[in-house]
Amino acid sequence: MIKFLFKGIWRDSSRSRLPILIVSIGVFLTIVMSAFMAGVMGDVVDMNARFSTGHVKVMTRAYADNEEQLPNDLAILGVDSLEKALETQYPHMQWVQRIRFGGLMDVPDEKGETRAQGPVSAMGIALIDTDDNKGSEGQLLSPEVQRLHIAESLKSGKIPQAPGEVLLSDAFAKKLDIQLGDAITFFGTTMYGSMTFKNFTVVGTVAFGSQALDRGGLIVDLQDAKQVLDMEDAAGELLGYFDNGLYDDESAQRIAQRFNQQYETTEDEFAPVMLRLKEQNQLASLIDYTERMSGIFVGIFVVAMSIVLWNTGLLGGLRRYSEFGVRLALGEAKGHIYRTLIYESVLIGIMGSVVGTLAGIGVAFWLQEKGLDFSGLMQNVSMMMPTVYRARITPETFFIGFIPGLFSMVLGQALSGIGVYQRDTAQLFKELEV
Amino acid sequence: MEKNKIISIEHLTKRFPVGKGEFTALKDINLEFRKGEFAGLVGPSGSGKTTMLNIIGSLDSPSEGKAMVLGRSIADLSHQEAAALRNRHIGFIFQEYHLLPVYTVYENVEFSLLLQGMEASKRKKAVMEALEWVDLTDKVDSKPAKLSGGESQRVAIARAMVKRPEILLADEPSANLDAKNAHNILQLMKKLNQELETTFIFSTHDEKVMQYLDRIISLEDGKVVKDEKMKVEF
Ligand SMILES: Nc1ncnc2c1ncn2[C@@H]1O[C@H](COP(=O)(O)OP(=O)(O)O)[C@@H](O)[C@H]1O
Ligand SMILES: [Mg+2]
Repeated sequence: MIKFLFKGIWRDSSRSRLPILIVSIGVFLTIVMSAFMAGVMGDVVDMNARFSTGHVKVMTRAYADNEEQLPNDLAILGVDSLEKALETQYPHMQWVQRIRFGGLMDVPDEKGETRAQGPVSAMGIALIDTDDNKGSEGQLLSPEVQRLHIAESLKSGKIPQAPGEVLLSDAFAKKLDIQLGDAITFFGTTMYGSMTFKNFTVVGTVAFGSQALDRGGLIVDLQDAKQVLDMEDAAGELLGYFDNGLYDDESAQRIAQRFNQQYETTEDEFAPVMLRLKEQNQLASLIDYTERMSGIFVGIFVVAMSIVLWNTGLLGGLRRYSEFGVRLALGEAKGHIYRTLIYESVLIGIMGSVVGTLAGIGVAFWLQEKGLDFSGLMQNVSMMMPTVYRARITPETFFIGFIPGLFSMVLGQALSGIGVYQRDTAQLFKELEV
Repeated sequence: MEKNKIISIEHLTKRFPVGKGEFTALKDINLEFRKGEFAGLVGPSGSGKTTMLNIIGSLDSPSEGKAMVLGRSIADLSHQEAAALRNRHIGFIFQEYHLLPVYTVYENVEFSLLLQGMEASKRKKAVMEALEWVDLTDKVDSKPAKLSGGESQRVAIARAMVKRPEILLADEPSANLDAKNAHNILQLMKKLNQELETTFIFSTHDEKVMQYLDRIISLEDGKVVKDEKMKVEF
C-alpha cells in the first residue's frame, strides 16, 4: 500500500511538487539558521574560552567578584603550587596562569620626549614557553601562542622570543603610529599598590578579529608581567583547558564542584574559587537566549508552513474528491483514506526534508567556509565576539530540519484531510457525478 | 428459491434535505433480486435510479424501510462494515469510468485486491485474468489518459470484476460510448454474468442496454411503475 501511495505521489507532480517545495524551503531555512546559530555560538564560546574564561577558571573569591576591574591586588598568591596541584589532579587538562592588567603606555621619540600616550589593557601570557620547549630555540610555539592563534593573527613582525618583547594590537599601533622595533614604556601599579614602569620593544602587531580585543591591547610575556607588577608566584587567573580543546559543560561542572568543595567551609575571601565557562561573561544566558530564539524561529516556521500546507492540502483535496469517491466505491473505508493521506504527508514530508536538508547543508557549508563579516556593525561592541561569523555544520544539522519538515506537513495534511473525513460517504461519492 | 434471493428491498423511502425542506427521491419501493439476474432500472433523469444503486451499494442508507443485501441490513452497517461489503462483494461501474489517472491499467485493477490484503502472487494472477476477460492484456502498463472510451470502460469492468463480486452495479455504463462500444461492453458483461453468475443491476435509459436485460424495472418520480421479466427463466 505504501508503495502504491508512493507511486501516486511520484507520478502526480501537482500532488507533490508544491508541498515538497514548501517543506524544503522551511527545512532549508531551519537548517541554515541553526547551522549559523551553532557557528556563531560556537565561535563566541570558543573565543571567550581562549581569551578570557578558559574551560574553567580559578581566581580568588574577591578577584572573581570584581573581575572587570582587573584587581591584581586580589590575585592568587602561591599560584605555582596551586597549578602543580591541579596538574597532578587533572592530568587531562592544561593549566595556565594569566595576568590581565591595565595602565598607561608612553611612546618616546629619539630624545626621550613623549611622542604619544594612551591607556592600554594588557595581558600577560606564557608567550615564551619556559617549561616545555626544551632545545627548541623558540621554534616551537608555546601552547598559549597556539591557543590564542597568535601566529595566525600576526599582522606584522614576529612572535616575541625574548623577555621585554611585546605584541601590540594592530589598530592600536596604527593609531599611535608605532613601528616595529619601537620602544614603549608601560606605567602601572604593582599588586601592592606602588607605582611601576618598564620598557618594552614592540616586535609584532596582531588583530584577533574581535573589537573588544583589538581596540587597545598589549600582549606581554607572563614573566615580564610578573616582574613589572611585582607578582612573583602570583597570578590573577589560573585557566584550565580540556586536552581536546572542546568545552564539555558536564565535566567542567564536576571538576569545579569538586574543587570548590575543598573551600566550602572557609570564609576567607582570598580562597580560590573555580568557575566554569558557562558561569562567566554571561555566556549561559547568551547560550540560553540563542537556543530560545532558535526555538521560536523553528516554531514560527512550523506554524507558517502548516498553514500553507493545510491550504495546499485543501486545494489538492478538492481536486482529488473524485479519486476518493472511487476508492470508497472500491471498498476503502473513509478512515483508511484519511490514514493514507497522513502516510502520503509523511512521505512528502520526508522528501521535502531531504531536499531542504541537502540545500541547507550546501549553503551552511558555504557559510562555514566563507563566513559573514559583521565588523562594520561591531565598532562599539564590548563583548568578546568575533567579527566574522561562520556557520558550523554539526551532527544536528543533518536531522534538525526533519522535525519542522515532517511535523508541518503532517499537521497541514491532517487538518485539510478532516474535510474528507467529516463528509458523508454518500456526499463524497456524489462528487463523482460531474 | 429463498436462498437465491440476494437483495430484498421493503418499503424503502429515501429523502434528501433540500434547503429547509426535504425531497423524496424514492417512495415506498419493494423489490427483490436473485442471484445471477441481469436487471436494469430504467427511467428518465431524476427518477431515482442512481439513488437506488447507491443504497444497494451501501454508499447511502434508507430513510425508511429496509434494504437487505447479502443478508446484511444496509441501514445498520458501520462505515467499516459497509466498506468491507463493497470491497469484497459489490462492484461499481460508472458513466464516467473514473479510473485513477496516475495509476496504470494494471494498478487500477489491482487496487481493491490491495485493499483486501491479498498476497502478491494471487493478486497478479487475478488481475491478469480480469484483464483477459476484457481483452486488455496488452495495455497493462498504459495510463488511463492513453485509452479510448471503450477501453477505459473495459478497464473499469475488469476493476469491478477482479474481486469476483456477487453484485455488480452499473450506473449508465454506456452513456459515453458509441453504439459499437456499447454493444461490446454489454456483450462482455452478459458473458461474465453467465460465467461467474454475478448479479448485474444497471441504471439506464439507453435502448441498446435494454435489449440485453432480462428484467426491466421502470422508475418514475421515485416509484416503481413497472417490473417486467423479458425472458423465460429456467
Ligand atoms: N444528495 C442529494 N441531495 C438532494 N437531492 C438529491 C440528492 N441525490 C439525489 N437527489 C435528487 O433525487 C432525485 C433522484 O436522483 P438520482 O437518483 O440521481 O436520479 P437518476 O439517477 O435517476 O437520474 C433527483 O431529483 C436528485 O436531484
Ligand atoms: Mg443517475
